[in-house]
Amino acid sequence: MPGVRLLNVTMRVAGLTGPVIDIPDLKVAPKERLAVMGPSGAGKTTLINILTGLDRPTSGQVIWDGVDIARLSEAGRDGWRSRNVGLVLQDFGLFDGLTALENVLLPQQMRRLHLGSPAHERARDLLSRVGIHRHGQKVETMSRGEMQRVAVARALQAGPQAVVADEPTASLDAGSARDVSDLLIDLTREAGATLVVITHDVGLAGAMDRIVTLKRGRIDAAGASPAVSP
Amino acid sequence: MIALRFILVDLRRHWIGSLAVVCLIAGASALGIAVDLQERALRIGSARAAERFDLVIGAPGSDTQLVLSSVFLQPSPLTLLPGSVLARISADPRVAMAAPVGFGDSFNGMPVVGTIAAFVTDGGRAPLAEGRPFGTITEAVVGADSPLVLGDQVKPIHGLPGEGGQTHRELSYAIVGRMAKTGTPWDRAILVPIEGVWTIHGMSHPHEHHADESGGSAEHDHDHDERSGAVSTEPNDPPIGDRHLGPPWTDPPGVPAVIVKAKTIADAYRLRSEYRTEATLAVFPAEVLTRLFATLGDIRLILGAIAFATQGLVGGAIVLVSVVHLSQRRRQLAMLRALGAPRTAIVALVWAELMLLVATGVALGVGLGFLGAKLFAIWLSGASGIVGPVILTGQDLALVLSLLGIAAAIALVPALVAYRQTAASGLRS
Repeated sequence: MPGVRLLNVTMRVAGLTGPVIDIPDLKVAPKERLAVMGPSGAGKTTLINILTGLDRPTSGQVIWDGVDIARLSEAGRDGWRSRNVGLVLQDFGLFDGLTALENVLLPQQMRRLHLGSPAHERARDLLSRVGIHRHGQKVETMSRGEMQRVAVARALQAGPQAVVADEPTASLDAGSARDVSDLLIDLTREAGATLVVITHDVGLAGAMDRIVTLKRGRIDAAGASPAVSP
Repeated sequence: MIALRFILVDLRRHWIGSLAVVCLIAGASALGIAVDLQERALRIGSARAAERFDLVIGAPGSDTQLVLSSVFLQPSPLTLLPGSVLARISADPRVAMAAPVGFGDSFNGMPVVGTIAAFVTDGGRAPLAEGRPFGTITEAVVGADSPLVLGDQVKPIHGLPGEGGQTHRELSYAIVGRMAKTGTPWDRAILVPIEGVWTIHGMSHPHEHHADESGGSAEHDHDHDERSGAVSTEPNDPPIGDRHLGPPWTDPPGVPAVIVKAKTIADAYRLRSEYRTEATLAVFPAEVLTRLFATLGDIRLILGAIAFATQGLVGGAIVLVSVVHLSQRRRQLAMLRALGAPRTAIVALVWAELMLLVATGVALGVGLGFLGAKLFAIWLSGASGIVGPVILTGQDLALVLSLLGIAAAIALVPALVAYRQTAASGLRS
């Protein structure tokens, strides 16, 4: 079953004596919703990069569903990521000039020249599900809340086993932030996917199963979410 | 095709830069194409113009000038070849046709050239477009591009085209025929009987057709004074329209050049060496043209090198621009990688975007080069009468393909820069 385990993961960068990430053991159960909190500079983005295979840790294992992605080649990690991880970022990472539908389809288009109608259908369903009804609208003409909802639809398009979100609500107003939080939680649950969210948003963190706090690259405290369990 | 839209969106976003790159490429490739096209057009055009002229015999002097004057009707005063030489060539059994050409007059800027009727039809090989060859001394045939129509009267002006001079009152010609298009300066010429030119310039011997009865012409006093003029007033002269035209001439006046068609190629070579004497000059126009084109070829080589260097500079500029552009797109491309795009797709995107610009530029450049060569050819044809066919051949295709091939290799540079970028690097803002 999907889920991830980080074992003895360290990340060092040139010029710094201590590791920027040092996690002896962190386990995220399948379908679990985990919030990672912590001050800026704690290594949250580095953790995201390691979790999603964007970066390789200096040492340690990152085991997703039995596959240690730290041992995969760069191309292998790209391929793995495209199949298994949906990314949602603070500044959306949408491509201006393209429509909402094109943005949702673009990652898959990068791997397949011809996208069949099932892919289009799924993209339209997802867009409608996140409340975007004008699929042909250029993303740069949308509100920030709408943009992030398009990004959520894109993250789920390939049917990933996990969704990783980096401050998904940080650049949104309160109302949009709540909408996006709800959509992230609902859609990942519907898809049966694991959700890892890095956030300062207490409301969003509170809706997670568990919160861990990252301080100087180390897990400071871990435990059940103070909020309700599912 | 979303990837293509992705490329087009990026190009539209940077449309000024894209346009500049396309224009640079178009300009550089147009230069190369135009040089090739024009050189080819000139070569084919002049070779075509020289086709009718197997061997040109004239008075000693510059062989280039002889060819330029007789084949390309370039106005210039040539020393006259004695009439005796013309008579001898005409009578030579190895000669199929010996056509004297006499210049010196013009009408409305069109050169009036005296020759024989057989030359007008190239010995029957080149039928007229309309009308018939001249049959009397007062008739003329015009070139295909002449604005004159059949029935027009022409009073030549003494002097070469553009020089101006006094109108000849001695003779006027009626246009009776029009030659087919040849693509040579002759298309603008007015061809008249050589006897007409002789008459107008007072070189005609009044009794030339009675020479046999009067026991030879040796004792006749040749009237070479141009100003004496009034040849047709001699009482014994037959009416001007009844005079016999063309060879055989007895004791003809001098001519600037004689165009000779030999019966065989061997004869042509023999005639050429026989008439290369101190008194005469014999050249194959082709050999003079070959020498001219060797010079022209050097110029082409220089122009080609300039075009090539320009293309190289443009190529370098484009690499620079695209690498700068790439650094602006770093985040965007990293985002694509983060979303799972393989590196090969990123390379393909960057490469395809550049190649799209290059291909557009080269296509425009071919069009521009073609247009430029065409315009130059039109100007050249207006100025010289030589119609150079501007045609695209496989050679140009090869040039275009090699341009695209080099561009494809150059475009790999930024593409590989993009390849080396790690997926995580661009996401850190």
